Amino acid sequence: MEPHVFSNLVTTALFAGLMLALWGARRSLLWRNAGRELVRRRPISLAVVAAYALVAGLDSIAWTDPHDAVGEDQAVLLGVARTVVDRFFPADFQEASYSAPLADRELYGGEPLSHPGAHWLGTDIIGRDVFHRALKGARVALIIGGLTSLIVLPLALLVGVSAGYVGGRLDDAVFFVMSTLASMPSLLLLIALIMVLGVGTVQVCVALGVTGWVGLARLVRAETMKIRELEYIDAARVLGASELRIVWRHVVPNLMHLVVITFALLFSSLVLSEVVLSWLGIGIDGSWGRMIDQARTELSREPVIWWSLLTASIALFALILAVNQVADAVRDILDPRTAGERS
Amino acid sequence: MAKVGAAVWIFILCALAACTNNPYPDADSGRSVLYRTMRKSPPKTLDPAVAYSVADHLVTGTVYDTLIDYDYLARPYRLIPGLVEAIPEEVEHGDGTWSLSFRLRPDLVYDTDECFELSRSGARSRPILASDIAFELMRLADPSVGSPVGAVFARIVGYAEFTKRLQALRDGDPAFEARRIDEQYREAGGVDGIRVRSDRDLEIVLSQSFPQLLYWFAMEFTTPVPWEAVVYYDGEDGRDVFSEHAVATGPFRLTRYEKRSRISLEPNSNWYGIRHPEWHAPGATYPTRGSQEDRSSGLLDPRYVGRPLPFLDGVELVFENEQIPGFNKFLQGYYDYSAIIEETFDQVVSEGGLTPGMEAMGVGLSKTPQAAVYYVGFNMDDPVVGRSGGDRSRLLRQAMSHAIDSEEFIRLFFSDRGIAAESPLPPSIFGSEEGEGNPFRRVDLDRARTLLAEAGYSRGIDPATGRPLKLSFTTGDTSARARLRYQFFVDSWRRIGIDVEIKSTNYNQFQDVLRRGAYQTFFFGWGADYPDPENFLFLLWGDLAKSKSGGANSANFDNPEYDALFLEMRNLPNGPERLAIIGRMLEILRVERPWIEIFTPEEYVLSHGWVRNLKSFGMSVPMLQYLDVDAPARTERRMAWNQPLEWPAWVLAALVVAAVIPGIVTFLRERQ
Repeated sequence: MEPHVFSNLVTTALFAGLMLALWGARRSLLWRNAGRELVRRRPISLAVVAAYALVAGLDSIAWTDPHDAVGEDQAVLLGVARTVVDRFFPADFQEASYSAPLADRELYGGEPLSHPGAHWLGTDIIGRDVFHRALKGARVALIIGGLTSLIVLPLALLVGVSAGYVGGRLDDAVFFVMSTLASMPSLLLLIALIMVLGVGTVQVCVALGVTGWVGLARLVRAETMKIRELEYIDAARVLGASELRIVWRHVVPNLMHLVVITFALLFSSLVLSEVVLSWLGIGIDGSWGRMIDQARTELSREPVIWWSLLTASIALFALILAVNQVADAVRDILDPRTAGERS
Repeated sequence: MAKVGAAVWIFILCALAACTNNPYPDADSGRSVLYRTMRKSPPKTLDPAVAYSVADHLVTGTVYDTLIDYDYLARPYRLIPGLVEAIPEEVEHGDGTWSLSFRLRPDLVYDTDECFELSRSGARSRPILASDIAFELMRLADPSVGSPVGAVFARIVGYAEFTKRLQALRDGDPAFEARRIDEQYREAGGVDGIRVRSDRDLEIVLSQSFPQLLYWFAMEFTTPVPWEAVVYYDGEDGRDVFSEHAVATGPFRLTRYEKRSRISLEPNSNWYGIRHPEWHAPGATYPTRGSQEDRSSGLLDPRYVGRPLPFLDGVELVFENEQIPGFNKFLQGYYDYSAIIEETFDQVVSEGGLTPGMEAMGVGLSKTPQAAVYYVGFNMDDPVVGRSGGDRSRLLRQAMSHAIDSEEFIRLFFSDRGIAAESPLPPSIFGSEEGEGNPFRRVDLDRARTLLAEAGYSRGIDPATGRPLKLSFTTGDTSARARLRYQFFVDSWRRIGIDVEIKSTNYNQFQDVLRRGAYQTFFFGWGADYPDPENFLFLLWGDLAKSKSGGANSANFDNPEYDALFLEMRNLPNGPERLAIIGRMLEILRVERPWIEIFTPEEYVLSHGWVRNLKSFGMSVPMLQYLDVDAPARTERRMAWNQPLEWPAWVLAALVVAAVIPGIVTFLRERQ
């Protein structure tokens, strides 16, 4: 299968899954009220996050078009798919080298640009449009946060619930593994894992996942131990429910608020971790971290080239801030101790 | 209370008045000590048999002298006698062997060192003997030393056999390995072709003619090394290890070796140039001849011409972790010369010359093309781009060559500090002029598309898949800056419709990929060991193909005609005959395109006006003994450029006071 077809399918599936989850949540009073409260408390942050998600989604849907090859000077490879975001920009939207935002000449040498005044945020050293790259970074950031969470959440739930519910030897073993992982500096572990796995999107996400699941697993384990002792579990057991059914119907749903809160908090820390990895030269192609890394020496150039660094930093900052704001609100809403507070 | 306050103020004022940012002791300001930074990293080793990086050579090339030296000013490079009386000539014997006879100068001695106690009680030094050179050559053959250039000397008769015998003895008897290293070598029978004729005479017997061997005697690998130093400096009982301790034979000796912060050198009073200035030995005297250009740039100053070396009172090499602060200290006058760093390039250089600001500071700029070449190589074993694809692959390689704009590459990533390459030979190398005018290195996208269509990839489409031809580009640097460079090539090839994917690995993985042969195109560079065309053209010699012999020919280029010409060229002296053969070899490369030659970097060195005799060399030979500094002028300039700026201190003090007063007021009020 062509990679872009795969990407389109995955995007559609993810979108469908999201809709399904929202629809499912609407049926529960708790989630419906929480959702309404969230929209009321953080409308702007939610809109920002949604905008990022929209850009990332549009950047995941691609197709090939026979009209893509522009004239004789093929700016785009024949038969190579371009995404919706790519199609906002002309196909040959590249200059020879640096140009300032909205400039009509190259920064060094002063050659006229092929797209004067069209690069809203300038171009980088090999003439790529900075705005375009920043938009494409959204997809990478969401993949890092999303894919890693897909690794972390099931793993942490499985390990945490089984340790908390079964207890005994299993609990000892799991707790030993968790303590061991938690006692290692996570950055060193990350670097070592990536050295072993190799550099690439999936590998980086796996490495982040392996180092990131311990926190949630601990929470889940403790919460499961608490729930295990509650009366309704005893009642279910007396009524003859199997252990698996108890876990699935009575324990896991009562852990979901933890999962949602952790996911929201984890997301921003994962995106930031990737920036650190990019700094060490083992990040993901096309990420904002990579952009910042490539731009870090540009500030000491003369004249200063600030647009790459600033654009990537602001894109990153806005997403992290919005996600943190939302995460904060989610925690306040879902945590029974703070649920009643109005802010 | 008031008294204490006054005392504090007086102290602060005094401190401010005496405050300078001079990082060196004041006592050194009058001495002509040269200050410079180390290369990007501190030296890894000082063992002359192992040291191979530019950072290592900066120290080893200064403390170890070689049998043969380079003329400081002559270009193209010219060899002059160093520790030997004359440069030997290769003599052909009837029996299929060749030989070289070195005769050391009389009265050469090592620097004083406690290791000589081992040979004679109370001894602090001893003469340099021919047997010490033989000892060092045997160390190169010793697998436990791990010299990177051991294989070079395999043409010495009995060299490989010595390695085998030594290994066999060590494997056979653990007690043997514990014995003194020189005794081990003697027990193994020595190398047959290394013959010590007397204390001063050494004969090297070769199984093949090897004219380039002389260049290897101009490198520190073949410097005389006393066995006492290797044995004594074993790291036991608080002694150094040999790779951190040098027994000097060269113009300078180490007085301090803290490689992560500072390395200090002072003139070696046991060096023959200092002990015997009356000899006017060519390796210890400032050259009297130079080009017109040297004369106009002040390199033939009568104060120095014909005078004995060295001129400096000392050398300080300081390690700077970050480049920008290092460069700023150069601008403040605390380093005497500096390379140009990318970030400040436009502040320093404009249109090929210095900016007016730099000129006003009296800074000088010296440019030299390095003896190095960077290239994109094709793996000739690959079915798509390599030889089995025949004409089709050749046309593809030619098309890809037409698509790369080296000038643009140099402009973007090296601020024009480089020369676009058209052949493997850099401009400072004999025969390079034959490589000029390579039609396939002209940027011509239309021609590239035509060639690509002829190769059967019309508009870049691979008929087998109906999609753009997909190639891999293997690279050995994962830094952000390097990735942009690789992206430049990929973008260039995309313009003719080829889809090239970067396979990014770190340098070790890159070497591994090359060994395993799983690559199509790659980016690589080569810095010459010695300035001879052989040292570049051998990179494409079939016998050294990576896939066949693990050699340096990573393109796996294997062309019988080229190989025959190479073997013929290798043994010829520079002259019209050799030039003609080189021309034919370059013609083969031009058409076959195993490489897309990209560029030769230019070394730009900035130096302050008080530095005398600086000429950048283009190879990693430090040549510090030729330099001098005008210390009084330097002190004066440093004072002028580093006037303390006092007002920020006052502002800070005012802020502190302003911040503290409300606190005191509150405190007093609350106490009442």
